[in-house]
Amino acid sequence: MEGFLGVRKGAWTEEEDNLLRQCVEKYGEGKWHQVPLRAGLNRCRKSCRLRWLNYLKPSIKRGGFTADEVDLIIRLHKLLGNRWSLIAGRLPGRTANDVKNNWNSHIHKRVVSCKEEVKGKAKQITKINVIRPRPLTFKKNVSWSINPSPKMVNIEVQLGHGDNDSNHSALTVPSNEDDILLWKDLLNGKESITVAQELKGPTTTFMAEENAPWTKTGDHFFDDMHGCWGDLSFDVDLWNFSNQNTKL
Amino acid sequence: MENSTHESHLRSDNSISYESPYPVYAMAISSRIQQQRIAIGSFIEDYSNRVDILSLNPDTLSIKPHPSLSFDHPYPPTKLMFHPSTPSSLRNSADLLASSGDYLRLWEVGDNSVDPVSVLNNSKTSEFCAPLTSFDWNEIEPKRIGTCSIDTTCTIWDIEKGVVETQLIAHDKEVYDIAWGEARVFSSVSADGSVRIFDLRDKEHSTIIYESPHPDTPLLRLAWNKQDLRYMATILMDSNKVVILDIRSPTIPVAELDRHRSCVNAIAWAPHSCRHICSAGDDSQALIWELPTVAGPNGIDPISVYSAPSEINQLQWSAAQPDWIAIAFSNKMQLLKV
Repeated sequence: MEGFLGVRKGAWTEEEDNLLRQCVEKYGEGKWHQVPLRAGLNRCRKSCRLRWLNYLKPSIKRGGFTADEVDLIIRLHKLLGNRWSLIAGRLPGRTANDVKNNWNSHIHKRVVSCKEEVKGKAKQITKINVIRPRPLTFKKNVSWSINPSPKMVNIEVQLGHGDNDSNHSALTVPSNEDDILLWKDLLNGKESITVAQELKGPTTTFMAEENAPWTKTGDHFFDDMHGCWGDLSFDVDLWNFSNQNTKL
Repeated sequence: MENSTHESHLRSDNSISYESPYPVYAMAISSRIQQQRIAIGSFIEDYSNRVDILSLNPDTLSIKPHPSLSFDHPYPPTKLMFHPSTPSSLRNSADLLASSGDYLRLWEVGDNSVDPVSVLNNSKTSEFCAPLTSFDWNEIEPKRIGTCSIDTTCTIWDIEKGVVETQLIAHDKEVYDIAWGEARVFSSVSADGSVRIFDLRDKEHSTIIYESPHPDTPLLRLAWNKQDLRYMATILMDSNKVVILDIRSPTIPVAELDRHRSCVNAIAWAPHSCRHICSAGDDSQALIWELPTVAGPNGIDPISVYSAPSEINQLQWSAAQPDWIAIAFSNKMQLLKV
């Protein structure tokens, strides 16, 4: 960033708009962190991006929403709720911001009054809390094994067998701690991952367990995970690793 | 299960056919072994559709429809499933069938008639409902059914009480399939191209274990291997590949089975063996694959091939009938002996 903290806030002047427009036309969208510098603007990078996407972009449709668009917005809102970016995704040329503002200022009143009439007649419907889980992802080049419960015999992990290329090294986990978890208990609970496993020797990368037959281990998989993790002691250091990249 | 490693073709006398008056899509095989009932749902692009209940006679190897057990269904059922285990609450001969379409509906299939039990409707206004693309009945907790819909949400129902247990915004786009792993863990696939696992004990988080390589290629179906919960299979839209995933190694598929010559429409893991899977598609073939411990350099070849007269749209491999694979193509339903 520029180095001094006094970025301008508030309405965009015409000169600032022009500077921004020229900059994006010259360099394209993206790399917003360089835009304030290149354009010579005393604005925060986030502000530049939003200004472009919501106002200056040439593909934005000006003018009020047509009746068709309003109809579509009402239907999508009934289906999706307040997820403006999804709704705007179905309205070409309209930004999520525009859709939201339009809704709140015009359509909302109409729909709410209609709904209240309906509700008065309909039976009491209990409100259901809709939750949106945040997805955790894994970095593509890092593979890791979750160790299933130590009671399981067929475990892929083995430690330190350097000879076989296709080894998995123990618990290669992504270094970002947030990415680790499928099961929160793991973080709370204590388990030293290296403890209590029966190592069956080098395994292949493929469907592993060449030593063991395909037993019906699936049943115990999740239940045991929770059961055991809680009991044993957790070695924090193990988790912070080393991106020991394993190949698959 | 066949042990041969070379391809073999199923003989035609090892199959039983049933022809229906309308195109068939949804199919379900009852888990009650004594009765051997099969439900098939029509696929007519109209409001009025039918579900027929057939019974299989294993001795004479014939399929017989029961006209009194046929009932109307609004819109084509996108999926049909029988109750996964024998419920003690129902009378001995009655079976519970669930169907998804505009709503999740439960039907009691008796000896002489089918009675609707309930319509599970979650929409807060009576005007619009989000159509359900699929659902799955939890085998370990049979009171739990998970449905998935085009409004990007997955809804978990407690069907005994008839209420929603939880509703999650699972994906960024329409959710196309859902599968239970164990009592409180399920996973789903969506038009946004991701396979996500959800745990009802931690509703704030989900885990993406695979994303389609070309962004936004929808994933259409998901099958979780009930014999070995580490493995899942999924298919991409318009792709001839069956992607096998290991949930311990996220983002990278363990195998891609690509011997189909056209897009794959349905997949089913073998109910009695953890390394066999069957797939069927628009090339009119049903292939049974055996997943090896070590993949050969040229990929994996199927161990069995069956060629149907036309594109196969549906595949069911039931634990109650592990020797038979049910497929549906055009107006026919066929049981193939494995």
